[in-house]
Amino acid sequence: MSYIENIYVCLAAPLLIAAICMRGKGMRMMMFLLGGMTMCLLSSYISTFIAAAVGVDLLSASLEIAPVTEEIMKFLPVLFYLLVFEPGKPEIADGVLMTAVGFATFENACYLTNNGADHIIHLLVRGFGTGAMHVVCGFLIAAGLIILWDRIWLRAAGTVGLLSFSMTYHGVYNILVSQSGTPAMTGYIIPVLTVIITIIFGRDLYPKEI
Amino acid sequence: MIEAICNAIQLILTGACTVISLLFAFRSKARVWLLLALFSGVFFLGDLYWYLFLVFYQKTPQYSYVSDLSWDAAYLFLFLLLIQVRNVRIMPYRMMRQRKKMWAIPAFTACMCIFFMQWGDYINNIATAVLMTGLLLYSFDGIIAQNNGNGNDGRFRMLYIATLVFCFSEYIMWLFSCFWMGDTLANPYFWFDILLSGTFILFPVALRKGVQA
Repeated sequence: MSYIENIYVCLAAPLLIAAICMRGKGMRMMMFLLGGMTMCLLSSYISTFIAAAVGVDLLSASLEIAPVTEEIMKFLPVLFYLLVFEPGKPEIADGVLMTAVGFATFENACYLTNNGADHIIHLLVRGFGTGAMHVVCGFLIAAGLIILWDRIWLRAAGTVGLLSFSMTYHGVYNILVSQSGTPAMTGYIIPVLTVIITIIFGRDLYPKEI
Repeated sequence: MIEAICNAIQLILTGACTVISLLFAFRSKARVWLLLALFSGVFFLGDLYWYLFLVFYQKTPQYSYVSDLSWDAAYLFLFLLLIQVRNVRIMPYRMMRQRKKMWAIPAFTACMCIFFMQWGDYINNIATAVLMTGLLLYSFDGIIAQNNGNGNDGRFRMLYIATLVFCFSEYIMWLFSCFWMGDTLANPYFWFDILLSGTFILFPVALRKGVQA
Protein backbone atom coordinates (compact mmCIF):
# COMPACT_ATOMS: atom_id res chain seq x y z
CA MET A 1 0.00 0.00 0.00
CA SER A 2 1.35 3.42 -0.85
CA TYR A 3 0.55 6.60 1.02
CA ILE A 4 -0.01 9.12 -1.71
CA GLU A 5 -0.17 12.02 0.75
CA ASN A 6 3.45 11.22 1.71
CA ILE A 7 4.48 11.33 -1.93
CA TYR A 8 2.54 14.57 -2.25
CA VAL A 9 4.43 16.14 0.67
CA CYS A 10 7.78 15.14 -0.84
CA LEU A 11 6.93 16.58 -4.25
CA ALA A 12 4.99 19.63 -3.12
CA ALA A 13 7.42 20.93 -0.46
CA PRO A 14 10.18 22.08 -2.85
CA LEU A 15 7.60 23.54 -5.23
CA LEU A 16 5.99 25.48 -2.40
CA ILE A 17 9.35 26.88 -1.30
CA ALA A 18 10.14 27.81 -4.88
CA ALA A 19 6.75 29.50 -5.23
CA ILE A 20 7.34 31.54 -2.06
CA CYS A 21 10.79 32.62 -3.26
CA MET A 22 9.67 33.52 -6.78
CA ARG A 23 7.76 36.53 -8.01
CA GLY A 24 5.43 37.30 -10.93
CA LYS A 25 4.92 34.74 -13.66
CA GLY A 26 7.32 32.21 -12.12
CA MET A 27 5.37 32.14 -8.88
CA ARG A 28 2.09 31.82 -10.76
CA MET A 29 3.39 28.85 -12.73
CA MET A 30 4.65 27.14 -9.56
CA MET A 31 1.30 27.66 -7.89
CA PHE A 32 -0.53 26.10 -10.85
CA LEU A 33 1.87 23.16 -10.82
CA LEU A 34 1.22 22.74 -7.12
CA GLY A 35 -2.52 23.20 -7.72
CA GLY A 36 -2.47 20.42 -10.32
CA MET A 37 -0.76 18.04 -7.89
CA THR A 38 -3.16 18.95 -5.10
CA MET A 39 -6.14 18.36 -7.36
CA CYS A 40 -4.73 14.96 -8.35
CA LEU A 41 -4.47 14.01 -4.66
CA LEU A 42 -8.00 15.26 -3.92
CA SER A 43 -9.53 13.62 -7.00
CA SER A 44 -7.97 10.34 -5.93
CA TYR A 45 -9.73 10.67 -2.55
CA ILE A 46 -13.02 11.67 -4.16
CA SER A 47 -12.96 8.88 -6.75
CA THR A 48 -12.19 6.33 -4.04
CA PHE A 49 -15.00 7.70 -1.87
CA ILE A 50 -17.55 7.63 -4.73
CA ALA A 51 -16.45 4.12 -5.72
CA ALA A 52 -16.93 2.92 -2.15
CA ALA A 53 -20.26 4.74 -1.82
CA VAL A 54 -21.77 3.24 -4.98
CA GLY A 55 -20.01 -0.09 -4.51
CA VAL A 56 -17.87 -0.47 -7.62
CA ASP A 57 -14.45 -2.09 -7.89
CA LEU A 58 -11.25 -0.16 -8.57
CA LEU A 59 -11.20 -0.95 -12.30
CA SER A 60 -14.75 0.31 -12.85
CA ALA A 61 -13.93 3.37 -10.76
CA SER A 62 -10.91 4.18 -12.92
CA LEU A 63 -12.93 3.71 -16.13
CA GLU A 64 -16.26 5.28 -15.19
CA ILE A 65 -15.77 7.63 -12.24
CA ALA A 66 -12.15 8.86 -12.36
CA PRO A 67 -12.40 10.63 -15.77
CA VAL A 68 -15.32 12.74 -14.56
CA THR A 69 -13.82 13.53 -11.15
CA GLU A 70 -10.31 14.23 -12.41
CA GLU A 71 -11.37 16.60 -15.20
CA ILE A 72 -13.66 18.58 -12.92
CA MET A 73 -11.01 18.81 -10.19
CA LYS A 74 -8.33 19.80 -12.70
CA PHE A 75 -10.49 22.67 -13.88
CA LEU A 76 -11.12 24.08 -10.38
CA PRO A 77 -7.79 25.95 -9.85
CA VAL A 78 -8.20 27.63 -13.24
CA LEU A 79 -11.83 28.47 -12.50
CA PHE A 80 -10.78 30.06 -9.20
CA TYR A 81 -8.05 32.02 -10.99
CA LEU A 82 -10.50 33.16 -13.67
CA LEU A 83 -13.18 34.29 -11.24
CA VAL A 84 -10.92 35.96 -8.66
CA PHE A 85 -8.09 37.48 -10.72
CA GLU A 86 -9.80 38.00 -14.12
CA PRO A 87 -6.57 37.29 -16.04
CA GLY A 88 -5.74 37.84 -19.71
CA LYS A 89 -5.94 35.08 -22.32
CA PRO A 90 -2.24 34.03 -22.29
CA GLU A 91 -2.30 33.70 -18.49
CA ILE A 92 -5.39 31.44 -18.71
CA ALA A 93 -3.70 29.14 -21.24
CA ASP A 94 -0.51 28.92 -19.15
CA GLY A 95 -2.54 28.21 -16.02
CA VAL A 96 -4.58 25.42 -17.62
CA LEU A 97 -1.50 23.74 -19.07
CA MET A 98 0.58 23.99 -15.89
CA THR A 99 -2.28 22.54 -13.82
CA ALA A 100 -2.50 19.64 -16.27
CA VAL A 101 1.27 19.12 -16.09
CA GLY A 102 1.20 19.12 -12.27
CA PHE A 103 -1.66 16.65 -12.29
CA ALA A 104 0.13 14.30 -14.72
CA THR A 105 3.42 14.54 -12.80
CA PHE A 106 1.84 13.53 -9.51
CA GLU A 107 -0.14 10.74 -11.18
CA ASN A 108 3.05 9.37 -12.74
CA ALA A 109 4.91 9.58 -9.42
CA CYS A 110 2.14 7.57 -7.73
CA TYR A 111 2.19 5.05 -10.59
CA LEU A 112 5.96 4.63 -10.15
CA THR A 113 5.71 3.91 -6.43
CA ASN A 114 2.97 1.32 -7.05
CA ASN A 115 4.46 -0.42 -10.08
CA GLY A 116 8.21 0.07 -9.75
CA ALA A 117 10.66 1.75 -12.08
CA ASP A 118 12.13 -1.33 -13.74
CA HIS A 119 10.95 -0.94 -17.33
CA ILE A 120 12.30 2.24 -18.82
CA ILE A 121 10.62 1.80 -22.23
CA HIS A 122 7.20 1.26 -20.67
CA LEU A 123 7.69 4.21 -18.32
CA LEU A 124 8.84 6.38 -21.19
CA VAL A 125 5.72 5.55 -23.21
CA ARG A 126 3.46 5.88 -20.19
CA GLY A 127 5.09 9.12 -19.07
CA PHE A 128 4.62 10.78 -22.43
CA GLY A 129 1.17 9.23 -22.93
CA THR A 130 -0.28 10.33 -19.58
CA GLY A 131 1.42 13.72 -19.77
CA ALA A 132 0.12 14.30 -23.27
CA MET A 133 -3.39 13.13 -22.36
CA HIS A 134 -3.69 15.58 -19.46
CA VAL A 135 -2.23 18.38 -21.56
CA VAL A 136 -4.69 17.64 -24.40
CA CYS A 137 -7.62 17.69 -21.96
CA GLY A 138 -6.36 20.96 -20.49
CA PHE A 139 -5.77 22.41 -23.94
CA LEU A 140 -9.34 21.61 -25.00
CA ILE A 141 -10.71 23.71 -22.16
CA ALA A 142 -8.14 26.47 -22.66
CA ALA A 143 -8.95 26.63 -26.38
CA GLY A 144 -12.62 27.07 -25.58
CA LEU A 145 -11.95 29.78 -23.03
CA ILE A 146 -9.52 31.69 -25.21
CA ILE A 147 -10.42 31.10 -28.84
CA LEU A 148 -13.94 29.91 -29.36
CA TRP A 149 -16.35 31.99 -27.36
CA ASP A 150 -16.60 35.76 -27.32
CA ARG A 151 -19.66 36.21 -25.11
CA ILE A 152 -19.69 35.31 -21.45
CA TRP A 153 -22.76 33.02 -21.61
CA LEU A 154 -21.34 31.26 -24.67
CA ARG A 155 -18.06 30.87 -22.80
CA ALA A 156 -19.83 29.27 -19.83
CA ALA A 157 -21.91 26.89 -21.97
CA GLY A 158 -19.00 26.08 -24.25
CA THR A 159 -16.66 25.39 -21.34
CA VAL A 160 -19.16 22.91 -19.88
CA GLY A 161 -19.30 21.21 -23.30
CA LEU A 162 -15.53 21.10 -23.63
CA LEU A 163 -15.18 19.80 -20.09
CA SER A 164 -17.45 16.91 -21.09
CA PHE A 165 -15.35 16.48 -24.24
CA SER A 166 -12.17 16.17 -22.16
CA MET A 167 -13.87 13.74 -19.75
CA THR A 168 -14.80 11.45 -22.64
CA TYR A 169 -11.34 11.72 -24.16
CA HIS A 170 -9.90 10.81 -20.75
CA GLY A 171 -12.40 7.92 -20.42
CA VAL A 172 -11.43 6.47 -23.81
CA TYR A 173 -7.74 6.77 -22.84
CA ASN A 174 -8.34 4.99 -19.53
CA ILE A 175 -10.21 2.12 -21.24
CA LEU A 176 -7.42 1.63 -23.78
CA VAL A 177 -4.54 1.75 -21.28
CA SER A 178 -6.36 -0.61 -18.91
CA GLN A 179 -5.73 -3.31 -21.53
CA SER A 180 -2.38 -4.76 -22.50
CA GLY A 181 -0.51 -4.95 -25.79
CA THR A 182 -1.77 -3.09 -28.84
CA PRO A 183 -4.84 -1.39 -27.28
CA ALA A 184 -2.68 0.02 -24.45
CA MET A 185 -0.01 1.18 -26.86
CA THR A 186 -2.72 2.80 -29.03
CA GLY A 187 -4.04 4.51 -25.92
CA TYR A 188 -0.61 5.94 -25.11
CA ILE A 189 0.11 7.02 -28.67
CA ILE A 190 -3.22 8.80 -29.39
CA PRO A 191 -2.63 11.73 -26.97
CA VAL A 192 0.95 12.18 -28.20
CA LEU A 193 -0.32 12.30 -31.79
CA THR A 194 -3.06 14.73 -30.76
CA VAL A 195 -0.46 17.05 -29.24
CA ILE A 196 1.70 16.90 -32.38
CA ILE A 197 -1.28 17.56 -34.68
CA THR A 198 -2.46 20.41 -32.44
CA ILE A 199 0.98 22.02 -32.47
CA ILE A 200 1.17 21.79 -36.27
CA PHE A 201 -2.39 22.76 -37.21
CA GLY A 202 -3.85 24.35 -34.07
CA ARG A 203 -3.13 27.96 -35.00
CA ASP A 204 -4.71 27.59 -38.42
CA LEU A 205 -8.02 26.70 -36.78
CA TYR A 206 -8.25 30.07 -35.03
CA PRO A 207 -11.73 31.24 -36.08
CA LYS A 208 -12.52 34.57 -37.76
CA GLU A 209 -16.30 34.63 -37.86
CA ILE A 210 -19.33 32.60 -38.95
CA MET B 1 -24.17 -8.54 -33.88
CA ILE B 2 -26.54 -5.97 -35.37
CA GLU B 3 -25.79 -3.64 -32.48
CA ALA B 4 -22.07 -3.91 -33.16
CA ILE B 5 -22.63 -3.17 -36.86
CA CYS B 6 -24.85 -0.17 -36.07
CA ASN B 7 -22.27 1.13 -33.60
CA ALA B 8 -19.53 0.71 -36.17
CA ILE B 9 -21.58 2.57 -38.83
CA GLN B 10 -22.26 5.39 -36.39
CA LEU B 11 -18.59 5.60 -35.42
CA ILE B 12 -17.54 5.79 -39.07
CA LEU B 13 -20.12 8.45 -39.95
CA THR B 14 -19.55 10.62 -36.87
CA GLY B 15 -15.80 10.31 -37.43
CA ALA B 16 -16.21 11.28 -41.09
CA CYS B 17 -18.39 14.25 -40.12
CA THR B 18 -15.73 15.39 -37.64
CA VAL B 19 -12.92 15.14 -40.18
CA ILE B 20 -14.95 16.93 -42.89
CA SER B 21 -15.95 19.71 -40.48
CA LEU B 22 -12.36 20.13 -39.29
CA LEU B 23 -11.16 20.37 -42.89
CA PHE B 24 -13.75 23.08 -43.63
CA ALA B 25 -12.88 24.82 -40.35
CA PHE B 26 -9.23 24.68 -41.35
CA ARG B 27 -9.97 26.19 -44.75
CA SER B 28 -12.60 28.77 -43.90
CA LYS B 29 -11.70 29.49 -40.24
CA ALA B 30 -15.41 29.86 -39.59
CA ARG B 31 -16.68 29.24 -36.07
CA VAL B 32 -19.72 27.31 -37.32
CA TRP B 33 -17.51 24.58 -38.76
CA LEU B 34 -15.60 24.29 -35.50
CA LEU B 35 -18.89 23.95 -33.65
CA LEU B 36 -20.03 21.23 -36.04
CA ALA B 37 -16.68 19.47 -35.57
CA LEU B 38 -17.11 19.67 -31.79
CA PHE B 39 -20.68 18.36 -32.03
CA SER B 40 -19.76 15.34 -34.13
CA GLY B 41 -16.38 14.87 -32.40
CA VAL B 42 -17.81 14.64 -28.92
CA PHE B 43 -20.63 12.39 -30.14
CA PHE B 44 -17.97 10.18 -31.78
CA LEU B 45 -15.97 9.99 -28.54
CA GLY B 46 -19.09 9.08 -26.54
CA ASP B 47 -19.87 6.30 -29.01
CA LEU B 48 -16.24 5.15 -28.98
CA TYR B 49 -16.19 4.97 -25.18
CA TRP B 50 -19.39 2.89 -25.21
CA TYR B 51 -18.13 0.66 -28.02
CA LEU B 52 -14.71 0.04 -26.42
CA PHE B 53 -16.37 -0.80 -23.12
CA LEU B 54 -18.57 -3.36 -24.92
CA VAL B 55 -15.62 -4.83 -26.82
CA PHE B 56 -13.19 -5.12 -23.89
CA TYR B 57 -15.58 -5.92 -21.05
CA GLN B 58 -18.58 -7.49 -22.89
CA LYS B 59 -21.00 -5.23 -21.01
CA THR B 60 -22.21 -1.66 -21.07
CA PRO B 61 -20.86 0.78 -18.45
CA GLN B 62 -22.58 0.35 -15.09
CA TYR B 63 -22.55 4.12 -14.54
CA SER B 64 -22.76 5.73 -17.95
CA TYR B 65 -21.78 9.24 -16.81
CA VAL B 66 -18.98 9.59 -19.34
CA SER B 67 -21.04 8.66 -22.41
CA ASP B 68 -24.11 10.55 -21.20
CA LEU B 69 -22.06 13.66 -20.58
CA SER B 70 -20.51 13.45 -24.02
CA TRP B 71 -23.87 13.07 -25.76
CA ASP B 72 -25.30 15.96 -23.77
CA ALA B 73 -22.25 18.01 -24.72
CA ALA B 74 -22.91 17.11 -28.37
CA TYR B 75 -26.48 18.46 -28.09
CA LEU B 76 -25.07 21.58 -26.47
CA PHE B 77 -22.63 22.20 -29.32
CA LEU B 78 -25.39 21.66 -31.88
CA PHE B 79 -27.52 24.15 -29.96
CA LEU B 80 -24.65 26.68 -29.98
CA LEU B 81 -24.29 26.08 -33.72
CA LEU B 82 -27.99 26.85 -34.28
CA ILE B 83 -27.65 30.02 -32.21
CA GLN B 84 -24.59 31.01 -34.24
CA VAL B 85 -26.30 30.62 -37.63
CA ARG B 86 -29.40 32.63 -36.61
CA ASN B 87 -29.29 36.24 -37.74
CA VAL B 88 -31.63 37.40 -35.01
CA ARG B 89 -30.70 36.25 -31.53
CA ILE B 90 -33.88 35.61 -29.61
CA MET B 91 -34.36 33.71 -26.39
CA PRO B 92 -36.50 30.55 -26.27
CA TYR B 93 -39.16 32.12 -24.02
CA ARG B 94 -39.64 34.94 -26.55
CA MET B 95 -40.13 32.35 -29.31
CA MET B 96 -42.84 30.72 -27.28
CA ARG B 97 -44.47 34.05 -26.44
CA GLN B 98 -44.58 34.98 -30.13
CA ARG B 99 -45.91 31.62 -31.25
CA LYS B 100 -48.22 29.93 -28.79
CA LYS B 101 -47.99 26.57 -30.56
CA MET B 102 -44.31 26.44 -29.62
CA TRP B 103 -45.40 25.54 -26.08
CA ALA B 104 -46.05 22.05 -27.44
CA ILE B 105 -42.26 21.50 -27.64
CA PRO B 106 -41.37 21.94 -23.95
CA ALA B 107 -44.58 20.09 -23.06
CA PHE B 108 -43.48 17.16 -25.25
CA THR B 109 -39.89 17.08 -23.94
CA ALA B 110 -41.09 17.40 -20.32
CA CYS B 111 -43.50 14.47 -20.75
CA MET B 112 -40.77 12.37 -22.36
CA CYS B 113 -38.34 13.34 -19.61
CA ILE B 114 -40.75 12.19 -16.89
CA PHE B 115 -41.40 8.99 -18.82
CA PHE B 116 -37.69 8.18 -19.28
CA MET B 117 -36.99 8.87 -15.60
CA GLN B 118 -38.43 5.40 -14.92
CA TRP B 119 -35.22 3.99 -16.40
CA GLY B 120 -32.48 6.62 -16.36
CA ASP B 121 -31.21 8.95 -13.67
CA TYR B 122 -33.01 12.21 -13.01
CA ILE B 123 -30.25 14.74 -13.61
CA ASN B 124 -29.19 13.38 -16.97
CA ASN B 125 -32.80 13.13 -18.14
CA ILE B 126 -33.46 16.74 -17.17
CA ALA B 127 -30.27 17.96 -18.87
CA THR B 128 -31.15 16.04 -22.05
CA ALA B 129 -34.71 17.38 -22.03
CA VAL B 130 -33.53 20.98 -21.64
CA LEU B 131 -31.05 20.64 -24.50
CA MET B 132 -33.53 18.85 -26.74
CA THR B 133 -36.09 21.59 -26.04
CA GLY B 134 -33.56 24.17 -27.17
CA LEU B 135 -32.72 22.24 -30.33
CA LEU B 136 -36.36 21.65 -31.28
CA LEU B 137 -37.36 25.25 -30.52
CA TYR B 138 -34.55 26.77 -32.57
CA SER B 139 -35.10 24.36 -35.47
CA PHE B 140 -38.87 24.89 -35.67
CA ASP B 141 -38.53 28.62 -35.15
CA GLY B 142 -35.82 28.79 -37.80
CA ILE B 143 -38.02 27.04 -40.35
CA ILE B 144 -41.06 29.19 -39.51
CA ALA B 145 -38.99 32.38 -39.63
CA GLN B 146 -37.65 31.42 -43.04
CA ASN B 147 -41.15 30.61 -44.31
CA ASN B 148 -42.18 34.10 -43.18
CA GLY B 149 -39.19 35.57 -45.00
CA ASN B 150 -37.35 36.95 -41.97
CA GLY B 151 -34.56 34.54 -41.25
CA ASN B 152 -31.41 33.85 -43.27
CA ASP B 153 -33.36 33.71 -46.58
CA GLY B 154 -33.81 29.96 -46.37
CA ARG B 155 -30.08 29.33 -46.32
CA PHE B 156 -30.07 27.09 -43.26
CA ARG B 157 -33.41 25.33 -43.82
CA MET B 158 -31.63 22.03 -44.48
CA LEU B 159 -29.62 22.39 -41.27
CA TYR B 160 -32.82 22.90 -39.27
CA ILE B 161 -34.42 19.89 -40.95
CA ALA B 162 -31.33 17.77 -40.23
CA THR B 163 -31.53 18.84 -36.58
CA LEU B 164 -35.21 17.89 -36.40
CA VAL B 165 -34.52 14.48 -37.95
CA PHE B 166 -31.66 14.01 -35.48
CA CYS B 167 -33.79 14.94 -32.44
CA PHE B 168 -36.81 12.85 -33.40
CA SER B 169 -34.60 9.87 -34.29
CA GLU B 170 -33.11 10.09 -30.80
CA TYR B 171 -36.53 10.22 -29.16
CA ILE B 172 -37.90 7.33 -31.23
CA MET B 173 -34.79 5.26 -30.48
CA TRP B 174 -35.09 5.91 -26.75
CA LEU B 175 -38.77 4.97 -26.86
CA PHE B 176 -38.11 1.73 -28.71
CA SER B 177 -35.26 0.85 -26.35
CA CYS B 178 -37.79 0.93 -23.47
CA PHE B 179 -40.16 -1.61 -25.03
CA TRP B 180 -38.31 -3.55 -27.66
CA MET B 181 -35.39 -5.83 -26.87
CA GLY B 182 -33.45 -8.09 -29.19
CA ASP B 183 -30.34 -7.87 -31.27
CA THR B 184 -31.97 -8.43 -34.67
CA LEU B 185 -32.78 -6.15 -37.55
CA ALA B 186 -36.49 -6.64 -36.75
CA ASN B 187 -35.97 -4.30 -33.81
CA PRO B 188 -37.03 -0.81 -35.02
CA TYR B 189 -34.45 0.73 -32.67
CA PHE B 190 -31.74 -0.14 -35.18
CA TRP B 191 -33.61 1.42 -38.12
CA PHE B 192 -33.67 4.76 -36.36
CA ASP B 193 -30.11 4.27 -35.15
CA ILE B 194 -29.03 4.06 -38.78
CA LEU B 195 -31.21 7.10 -39.63
CA LEU B 196 -29.52 9.01 -36.80
CA SER B 197 -26.11 8.00 -38.10
CA GLY B 198 -27.16 9.19 -41.56
CA THR B 199 -27.85 12.70 -40.27
CA PHE B 200 -24.13 13.08 -39.58
CA ILE B 201 -23.55 13.10 -43.32
CA LEU B 202 -26.45 15.50 -43.79
CA PHE B 203 -25.08 18.07 -41.30
CA PRO B 204 -21.90 19.07 -43.21
CA VAL B 205 -23.84 19.18 -46.49
CA ALA B 206 -26.55 21.35 -44.91
CA LEU B 207 -24.05 23.69 -43.27
CA ARG B 208 -22.00 24.05 -46.42
CA LYS B 209 -25.14 24.92 -48.35
CA GLY B 210 -26.08 27.49 -45.74
CA VAL B 211 -22.64 29.09 -45.48
CA GLN B 212 -22.12 29.22 -49.26
CA ALA B 213 -25.49 30.77 -50.11
